Amino acid sequence: MEEIILEARNLYFSYELSDKHSLQGLNVKVKKGEKVAFMGANGSGKSTFFLCCNGIYQPQKGEIYFKGEKIGYSKKELLALRSHVGIVFQDPDNQLFSASVKQEISFGILNLGVDKITAEKEVQAVMERLEIMPFQDRPVHALSGGQKKLVSIADILIMHPDIILLDEPVASLDPKHTSLVYRIIDQMTEQGITVIMATHDVDYAYAWADEVVLMHEGVALCQGKPEDIFRNKELLRKTNLEEPTVLRLYDRLCEKGMLKREGNIPKTLDELEHLI
Amino acid sequence: MILIDSLSYSSKLRYKNPEEKFVFAMSSLVICVATKSILAALTALIINGWLIIRKGGIPLSYYVKYLLVPLVFLFFSTLILLVNISKIPLDAYAIPIGEYYLTSSLSDMYRGIGLIVTALGAVSCLYFLAMNTPMTEICEVLKRMHCPTLFIELMLLTYRFIFILLEVASAILTAQKSRLGNRDFRTSLDSFGKMVSILFIRSLKKSTHLYDAMESRCYNGELNVLRDGSRSVCKEIVWIVLYEMVLLGIAVFGF
Repeated sequence: MEEIILEARNLYFSYELSDKHSLQGLNVKVKKGEKVAFMGANGSGKSTFFLCCNGIYQPQKGEIYFKGEKIGYSKKELLALRSHVGIVFQDPDNQLFSASVKQEISFGILNLGVDKITAEKEVQAVMERLEIMPFQDRPVHALSGGQKKLVSIADILIMHPDIILLDEPVASLDPKHTSLVYRIIDQMTEQGITVIMATHDVDYAYAWADEVVLMHEGVALCQGKPEDIFRNKELLRKTNLEEPTVLRLYDRLCEKGMLKREGNIPKTLDELEHLI
Repeated sequence: MILIDSLSYSSKLRYKNPEEKFVFAMSSLVICVATKSILAALTALIINGWLIIRKGGIPLSYYVKYLLVPLVFLFFSTLILLVNISKIPLDAYAIPIGEYYLTSSLSDMYRGIGLIVTALGAVSCLYFLAMNTPMTEICEVLKRMHCPTLFIELMLLTYRFIFILLEVASAILTAQKSRLGNRDFRTSLDSFGKMVSILFIRSLKKSTHLYDAMESRCYNGELNVLRDGSRSVCKEIVWIVLYEMVLLGIAVFGF
């Protein structure tokens, strides 16, 4: 049986001065090494759940389990949790506080108690891996949106977390930076990191994710394999989502008798082309 | 990006040791201000100008533009020394206006000009530091000088926030302009007021988000980051010591 690395049981959370729960009885299980896409309309509770997983928000009711152990909220327990569960925020300007790229990236690893020589090496390595070197000497405020996003991912990768939570990682990025970020995400999963991503991109989620969680008004409506989730048109409508293009095209071609429903359903346009 | 900040990143002296630059600028500044020597201030003004323009590669026009800012302020603040209205003509000059004279004494003129030159010399020292040393490195130097950590961290965060808020303010102003928010003086004032109030709310929200993000990376109350900058060079230290001694010599024995 695959190990459950993160589990939320009956989570309730509401913001101050809000009469509505942002999370209202959320139940989710994430297996180790999995790629999980959290999808749903704006305000469905995805970001709130991510902040709960990192211990930034403490749910009013319910528990979160990391590697089978219930997470605690003492300073020591939170530091231990945050060294294993990293979060990349949607807006890099909400994350990047340092004036220089190198200082920014070194912040997390130095907080883990790593010595400066090791931290320096790690910073160099992560900057090379994420192609940050060409703009490493520029101040953070002079970076483009895409470059800021790469730095914000490097901030977390350098801490070698077991889980990375990515809150809409390609929101407002150009195609070049989008594909670069997706390539980095692929590298994360190759390293065995559990990646949990909030996204609105149904095509990407369908092709990339092992599991999809559909969120609606603070609860997980369903969790399962992308090919099963994206077949449920009723759920998609309820969560303001559309069927992935590949799946829609595949179904049409099958309906018109141009393809037979046998074998694996294609995940990407390339796979569909190959099938045709 | 604020111009002086971008200049500090593009300067050829950027990678010189920040401590050396800090000590150079501060000791020159102290000599200028403490001795009030016009010759020493002029020497500092020329040498700093030469370092900024020739060695740092900062365009002359920028340096002059930045020097004009305090010059205008200094001119108006020393006006009281340079121009008097009196019934008795003084020794420097006297322009009769009816029963009165627009006049000044030589000693007042000398004091006024001395004040302007000294202040310009001191400002040029600060410009040398600001135009060649990024803010982060100045903070590093302060840290090594055992300045309170809280003070340095506040400086760094304020520095970062200036750019975030400028960006937000610029976006709001553009949005207001696109909807005729500056149609006339009255609407411009109204738009400006609204922009400031929104900026205040956004800055509060941003600071909360930023704190959350720092907490998520195991922030424990102290900003642990790697330092930028380079090692000090013996030859450069010798040059700095020599220069400061010469400057002090000019100040004490010169003029």
